[in-house]
Amino acid sequence: MIAGLQRFLGELRREGICVSPAEWIEALQAAELVGLENRALFRTALSATLVKRATQRQAFDDAFERFFAAPRLHGREGRGRARDETGARPGPGRGERPGLRPKTPPREPERKQAPLGKPALEQALEAVRGGAVVRHGRLRRIVLARPGERRQQRSPGAIERTPLRDLTRKHATGPDDAALVRAVRREIERLRLGAARRTRRAPTGRPYLRRVFRDSLRTQGVPFTLPLLRRRTDTPRVVLLIDVSWSTARAAGLFLALAGEFLRFGRQTRALLFVDRTADVTPSVAAWLAARTRAPFAALLGGVRGLNLAAPSDYGRAFHHLLRSAARPRGRRTVLVVLGDGRTNRFEPLEWAFAELARDCGAVVWLVPEAAALWGTGDSALERYLPHVDAAVEVRDLSGLARGVREILRRVG
Amino acid sequence: MQGRPKIDAAAIRAAFLEHGFVTTGEVATTLYLADALGKPVLLEGPPGVGKTEIGKLWARFHEGELIRLQCYEGLDEAKALYEWAYGKQMLYVQLLREKMAELLGDVPDLATAVRRLGGQADAFFSREFLLARPLLRAILAQGPVVLLVDEVDRADEEFEAFLLEVLSDYQVSIPELGTIRATARPRVILTSNDSRDLSDALRRRCLYLYVDYPSFEEELAIVESRVPGLSRTLAERVVRFAQSLRKAELRKQPGIAEVIDWALALVTLGADGLAPETLRQTLGALVKNREDLERVLADLPRPRA
Repeated sequence: MIAGLQRFLGELRREGICVSPAEWIEALQAAELVGLENRALFRTALSATLVKRATQRQAFDDAFERFFAAPRLHGREGRGRARDETGARPGPGRGERPGLRPKTPPREPERKQAPLGKPALEQALEAVRGGAVVRHGRLRRIVLARPGERRQQRSPGAIERTPLRDLTRKHATGPDDAALVRAVRREIERLRLGAARRTRRAPTGRPYLRRVFRDSLRTQGVPFTLPLLRRRTDTPRVVLLIDVSWSTARAAGLFLALAGEFLRFGRQTRALLFVDRTADVTPSVAAWLAARTRAPFAALLGGVRGLNLAAPSDYGRAFHHLLRSAARPRGRRTVLVVLGDGRTNRFEPLEWAFAELARDCGAVVWLVPEAAALWGTGDSALERYLPHVDAAVEVRDLSGLARGVREILRRVG
Repeated sequence: MQGRPKIDAAAIRAAFLEHGFVTTGEVATTLYLADALGKPVLLEGPPGVGKTEIGKLWARFHEGELIRLQCYEGLDEAKALYEWAYGKQMLYVQLLREKMAELLGDVPDLATAVRRLGGQADAFFSREFLLARPLLRAILAQGPVVLLVDEVDRADEEFEAFLLEVLSDYQVSIPELGTIRATARPRVILTSNDSRDLSDALRRRCLYLYVDYPSFEEELAIVESRVPGLSRTLAERVVRFAQSLRKAELRKQPGIAEVIDWALALVTLGADGLAPETLRQTLGALVKNREDLERVLADLPRPRA
């Protein structure tokens, strides 16, 4: 809650409301007293402690609405960019240069108030918990952490017991990285061995005995044809798009390990890192994996050209950059995996750019290193991107990562 | 208020409603937070929206004494904090003249007399001769007490600065007696009509709430609860008329108290509607400024000849 309110404090300061440390502490105390369950109470608690003039109230209300608003689920069907009222597609060349940061934080239209913690996305998540099928644009599947799972993990390793959420707060250390890599490799190995080999019917190959009876039923066995099968030869391609900004720095280490393991097993994998622009690090990661003594992740990140680690993360700009670059992922067999929290620092999310990327890929999986309750809150634009994603997975620890890998492998085959 | 209710925003709201005071969740929550955080509350808003009433009901809610300090231009420490009972001191001096003569009978010179009286003079600057004014009374109070500093915007800036010490530490310094600290921290409510901008320092020490005119529904509920004999239709008309007057740029907008007075006047006259003649007879209860009254009456339809 403190971190969330701290971000709200920044929002208030941008609105011109100066808050002293004493008032800030009082606001925290007040918020703790009233809790988060009741939106009106929570708003009153913050306004009573942070607003000191009637003239500030409107600015406070605007900031509160913007920051604590319920995320909207866009009912956009299909994968292409939606057309506006005039029938034109929003995007570049229509009065606004894409990828450029707005000079002022974008003002969002009025949102209908909803109780805190029960936004639209949260309702979708609840539907998932209840076993309902998600229908939210392209999104069909949300995979969440199971309650109490973290406490019951069988693995004795300290790293595995530590939620990723906490790991994101620390700087990576060498031993931690090594432990993570080992753990990720175990997960992927287990899944790889567990997964059945994909085969398909073919004019030549070995007999497909399981289909003989079913095929014969259609024609009563006259004429009898022996179905044949052979292993799939086309190699699926996995493109990992990893947010390595400060907020997800530690999780990014884990995701990089994941990328490395995909590379090790001979998949056609590309690893792209981004903060506000994308950078292809596939050769670097491959070299890093091949090295006898691996440098820490931080050292790997530091050596990537075109990656500004000090920049605030800007998903819209990064997606747009990727859309226009040669590394743009394409293909029916391509699985785009985005690893990040979707927090875009209030920069324009440019979801149309992401929608175009998603449209050209066979499947899109988004691994979110953040609690599902926080998706779409504050500066998170996740609710804008999720309609263009096939599956979203809550990845806060290794078990979450395992579920994420399972989702990827389901689509890779 | 029978029994001490559990203090939370809902309980405060319910208790206020018991006394016919319809309040918003914002007011109740702010009072609850003030209680929990031990902070004064600054209620700002136009006159007649019930800020003072909130202070009074807050005292009743806590079954405590209400100590009210009405601010005005020229209010100083002597009238707000304490002063020495000069008359009482003089009376005691007269009564104790013989005793003093005994004390000073064998004194050879004036210097010796002053030295001897020096030890005795403190008796005249003890709590016996101290006239505690509202602020000091609130600090000295042993039981629950609500200090209502009403219309603080009317007081001078010097007094506002003086209030800071009281609101920060709940203590006052009296040179003859030293520093007096509150044994039980008083609950403090400051009200302001926003006629003058209060200092940031004072605002920072308080929880702030702007109490605006109520919405139509809220005001209707208030009128119905305070004026039982009023029909629903008439109550709606009364409130709608009052709200439309507030939108007009009158010199003095009608507050809730005026609306209630007007509704009571209508009930007393047995009015069943807002006919122009009825309005002419009763509008004085609602509009309290001559120019405003003339403006409103001029807009009323003329009676047919």
